[in-house]
Amino acid sequence: MTIHRGNCLRVDLGNHEISRDLTPENGVGGRTWNSVTLLRELKPGIDPLGPENILCISVGPLTGSELIATCRFIASAKSPLTGYLGDSGARGFFAPEMRWAGHDQIVFTGVSDRWAYLLIDNERVEIRDASHLVGLDIGETTVQLREELHDPDLQVAAIGPAGENLVRYAIISCNLARAAGRTGMGAVMGSKKLKAIAVHGDKPVRPADPERFRKACAQLQSNLVGHRQFEARRKYGTTRIMGLAADMGILPAYHYRSAVFEHLNKVDAEALRRDHVVKAKSCYNCNVHCSRYNYTRYGEGEGPEYEAQAGFTVKCGNSDLELAVGVSNAVNRLGLDCISTAEVIAWLMECRHEGVISDADVDGIDLSWGSREALLKLPEIIARREGIGNLLAEGTRRAAEKFGPEARKLTVEVKGLELFSADPRGIKGYALMNAVNSRGGDHYRGEPMIELTGDEDRAMRRVGNRDAAHRLREEGKGALVNYAEHLGLLSDSITICKNISCCMDVVDFDLAAEAYSGLLGKEISPGELWLACSHVSQVEREFNLREGLQTEEDTLPARFLNHPIPDGPSKGATIDIRRLVRDYYREKGWK
Amino acid sequence: MCEVACSSFHFGAVSPALSRIRVAKLEEIGLDMAVACLSCSEKPCLECPTEALSVGERGEILLDVGLCDACGVCVEACPIGAVGFYGERPLFCNLCGGATSCVNACPSRALSYREDHKELPLAAFLRSKGNPSQKRGQYVRVEGEPLRESWKNGVRIDS
Repeated sequence: MTIHRGNCLRVDLGNHEISRDLTPENGVGGRTWNSVTLLRELKPGIDPLGPENILCISVGPLTGSELIATCRFIASAKSPLTGYLGDSGARGFFAPEMRWAGHDQIVFTGVSDRWAYLLIDNERVEIRDASHLVGLDIGETTVQLREELHDPDLQVAAIGPAGENLVRYAIISCNLARAAGRTGMGAVMGSKKLKAIAVHGDKPVRPADPERFRKACAQLQSNLVGHRQFEARRKYGTTRIMGLAADMGILPAYHYRSAVFEHLNKVDAEALRRDHVVKAKSCYNCNVHCSRYNYTRYGEGEGPEYEAQAGFTVKCGNSDLELAVGVSNAVNRLGLDCISTAEVIAWLMECRHEGVISDADVDGIDLSWGSREALLKLPEIIARREGIGNLLAEGTRRAAEKFGPEARKLTVEVKGLELFSADPRGIKGYALMNAVNSRGGDHYRGEPMIELTGDEDRAMRRVGNRDAAHRLREEGKGALVNYAEHLGLLSDSITICKNISCCMDVVDFDLAAEAYSGLLGKEISPGELWLACSHVSQVEREFNLREGLQTEEDTLPARFLNHPIPDGPSKGATIDIRRLVRDYYREKGWK
Repeated sequence: MCEVACSSFHFGAVSPALSRIRVAKLEEIGLDMAVACLSCSEKPCLECPTEALSVGERGEILLDVGLCDACGVCVEACPIGAVGFYGERPLFCNLCGGATSCVNACPSRALSYREDHKELPLAAFLRSKGNPSQKRGQYVRVEGEPLRESWKNGVRIDS
């Protein structure tokens, strides 16, 4: 059943040829188009960093419309970090510009013989020489292209040194700090010798049924502004999670050795806002403005979000917030995923603490908890693959093979993708999400946020189970995660910010169906959207099974299964991951 | 959101290219600011060769579409790049006939319209070089300098 097909631009980097096509019949935009394309066109078993990988960048029919925060592009390819389906979304202003240029999906194949960037000016598309951009960080690349093309409004998605050097968790980033961060899409882009995509678009998005579309937009606006978290999110953005995670007892202090961080008040959302935040920042057409600009003695930049903030403080045992903000700015510039980078550093620190490795194993860098030297130096040498950075650029799973089985026991990854800055033992829905979803250790596939609210009525309405609203109960979590995955996939197709659609739970399939129907001018039911998402969810599973995924990999690191949370409000929490996974398989109809 | 509100109000469709208010984003120095016609005291746009432009009672610039031959002189003349160009004609903010869509849409209440608005001098920018997009950038860079100075002096968002 075809709901909508968009314009697809095919860029063969090997032959420097450009052709036009339509997006696949199946799918409703963004990630759905990419996943279908990759299952159909990618040969199984290929090297993710070789010429046969395909990099897809998609937006959706609703991107750049009046619907709030339809601001994301989705980059997908086979992941060099997991070996399975990789994809990641970035907010900001690049995606709507791509939509206004008239392109809904760009499919990159082959490898360029020299460094190149793609210039899109509406219909005009050119592959251009990028040799002068090599070595520049993401900010410098963006500024350079805007200057030389005389267009400060140009939107640029680029890789930094990390992507050029094929770091397996390199990002693609736009607006200097809005990253498609997970699963190493920047490394795939680097392997193709594609430094940047620069786009200028003028063509408006015009709803076919303006009245119906405006009504859906107004409904979302009203859901959002009336939300009880609206003001707190406006003020603190995702950094507010620091306090919430502490209250729930799920902080990953000292690399999950404690759920209590004694220096919390030095590094929390209040401290960040008081000492370093100078201005609120927004993505396209959003009224939450949850991002912030920081000014520190280590330089300035946008961010950090919760993951970088907690990752470079709590997880690494670092109480110097200003240092952590500086590191966040640096990884954004270098083009590293802040989640994987923080996990690499914190894991090394724990390995050193346990006596598994010594400073001598990492070029003499001080690996004590909170080490300033480690936090400042490691991202630099990883991005440039210098010294031990060359090994660490491979991610924790591959690096652990070098450091031995004791180091392997301390890694916190699923399928090769490093986990977020929270302890899954205290949030069972998130634990299950990390264990089973298509991209590996990842919480953001869809957010099973209902379990953090305790709102039983909402849990009943969404997934038919009141227990699902409680984070420490294992009942109902299969249905909750399945619903959250569907909503996540829908959001990755609408290309709306998931902090809004999933975390605030203000978008459902009914509202989405009204928005799609109004924009496209045809009747699209909530059930059709649900089915489209179910179909693509199976496509993604099929892709991974084809690459050799075993069901035993749908699990969490053993350290979470065998040991309870040692302290704090969730003290004693353990997790029966087999039970949770069975429940989820039942929901999906899998064996 | 101001760009979306503007293009949607005037064209029923969304794109900054259709908007009479444009946000200039200097991401490398953390500044972003909406730029629109300020009804400045110099009004260099009025040097229209076909005399298609006049000043309305609210101080806004009025375009006579019949007289305009889309030469673009006004677009180039604006010292802060606030005159758009789309569909073979220049785009002048007409305050939505008083409805001021952008002001109403701004969630930060950063925009306002005042009836007692006094003409702002933009003489300092008359020598700005480049295309409208570059001129907007230069304007925001200069206007934002005191803000950046305050950051350097330790002023934070809640100070």
